[in-house]
Amino acid sequence: MAVKRQLSMVLDLNKCIGCQTCTAACKLMWTNRNGREFMYWNNVETQPGKGYPRDYQNMGGGFDENGGLRLGRQPSQDDYGIPWEYNYEEALMTGTDPWLRPNVKPTWGANWDEDEGLGEYPNSYYFYLPRLCNHCANPACLAACTRNAIYKRQEDGIVLVDQERCRGYRYCVNACPYKKVYFNEQISKSEKCIFCYPRIEKGLPTACAQQCVGRIRWIGYRDDEEGPIHLLVEKYKVALPLHPEWGTQPNVFYVPPMSPSKYGPNGEALDESRIPLEYLESLFGDRVGEVLATLGAERQAKAEGRDSELMDTLIGYKHAEMFKLS
Amino acid sequence: MTIHSAFRHACLLGLVMAFGLPVHADHSELNPNAMDVKPGDTVKVSRIPGTIYLRTQNDPDDLIWDRLPLYRIELMPAPPVHTSVILRMDPTANTPKHLYFQVARSDERFYVRLRWKDATENRATAVDRFRDGAAVQYALKGSDTSLMMGTGPDNAVNIWYWRADEEQAENLAAGGFGSTTRLTEQPVSGASAYIREAIAQDSEWHVVMSRPLKVDGEHQVDLEREAVPVMFALWQGDTAQRDGDKRISQNWIMLDTTTAP
Repeated sequence: MAVKRQLSMVLDLNKCIGCQTCTAACKLMWTNRNGREFMYWNNVETQPGKGYPRDYQNMGGGFDENGGLRLGRQPSQDDYGIPWEYNYEEALMTGTDPWLRPNVKPTWGANWDEDEGLGEYPNSYYFYLPRLCNHCANPACLAACTRNAIYKRQEDGIVLVDQERCRGYRYCVNACPYKKVYFNEQISKSEKCIFCYPRIEKGLPTACAQQCVGRIRWIGYRDDEEGPIHLLVEKYKVALPLHPEWGTQPNVFYVPPMSPSKYGPNGEALDESRIPLEYLESLFGDRVGEVLATLGAERQAKAEGRDSELMDTLIGYKHAEMFKLS
Repeated sequence: MTIHSAFRHACLLGLVMAFGLPVHADHSELNPNAMDVKPGDTVKVSRIPGTIYLRTQNDPDDLIWDRLPLYRIELMPAPPVHTSVILRMDPTANTPKHLYFQVARSDERFYVRLRWKDATENRATAVDRFRDGAAVQYALKGSDTSLMMGTGPDNAVNIWYWRADEEQAENLAAGGFGSTTRLTEQPVSGASAYIREAIAQDSEWHVVMSRPLKVDGEHQVDLEREAVPVMFALWQGDTAQRDGDKRISQNWIMLDTTTAP
């Protein structure tokens, strides 16, 4: 879907510490009320892991090889996790309840399988994967909506649900393979990440990016050759979309995580990375090896005191320079 | 009945069973007191005399409904027009479904009562659960209006949509696929009862929707015309039906209002 300009985000997974500050920023801004409590427009999940909603990578949706919409499984409330609250007032203020406890028994939630990952010590591994709506160039949610309630803004490519037109059919929830459209039971309509467009329109970055303590997020326009997105995605080609095979052409890109060597049976370092390349390729496609090689070479250059425009960018010396919104 | 005649009946029944009844979709749903209505037929709108007082306006089981003609119509899966609906259509669910309806007016209001069998009462709308629903669609103009949500903005339809998750009916209008719009004026009210039976398949929805004859606003059907084209739709929440994934009557039925001065 051609738009005049496309806003885009790059996230460096080598810098994400899984602190959930982005998640909290987004939640406080948009989803802590009015039927959105279970929603995480931005979530950070541990990978390998089940993700949020649980097992979303196996729920279907997106497009097949011929560009046809693929049917998916509708996530259940349990797959998202039932939100719970604590009795702070009773336990901590009035003292009427001796125990601080949740109002429902928590059995699952976003990042429930935190830090589990895969592999056996000393070769266990995991990394954090922050996820938000990809504001795709070919959004499956938009294609699936029978009411033209989902649209992509010409000026920045942000994908939005028109709340006036939405009648809560949930085709979009089903069709998004990333499961980044959510059904609000309270209003019987679907809602999703709006890329903080009220902030963007004021020249401010999204809340998740602004609050990121690891400085892992860059925001800019795809066509801005002076901007960080162009440098990371086009010039050095080190940022890759998540699950490109799903056919939606995401506009959120990830710098894949490097990892130390795997250990052999006698504790010797092997010539393969701790996070298996095949696993990363299953997430980010077959260019991962090439990207990791580039990152390794540039990192080495920087370590040796040589110049590296790529490393200087990835380090993110000045937070404000990570966002180019004009 | 004598033993002899009972035996004869049993033989006859056996014979019928052996050779097979004419296969009817949901024979068990047949109500002998109802009149069959075929697509294109005309149906008279009953008159509720001014002397009869409806204690509750939309009581789905008011006694009055036992005294008014009951019509039966067959609903078939609506032809899908969008990929999202095509993907979800159950090709085996092609047997007709019976919907019973009654239409009546008083001096001030117009009433539609719907009854249909449904083994599951789906009243919830949740992230992965869908509600039951029923709709009555009226052509604002003549019966040359497209059955499928009207023919553009100039040949629109007015839809009364009852949804099981709220005790209310929505007043909608549409002029083509994907154009369904909730109208500013909401004069349609509705109420429902789910009559649960020991055998789930016999359980039944009773729904009444009504509206004052005189209303303000655009896209509201004129119910005082002599002939009002109408059709019906049902959604089965249990199979996640919503939107175009529904069962509909096969053509306009003409409501004849002339007997109700």
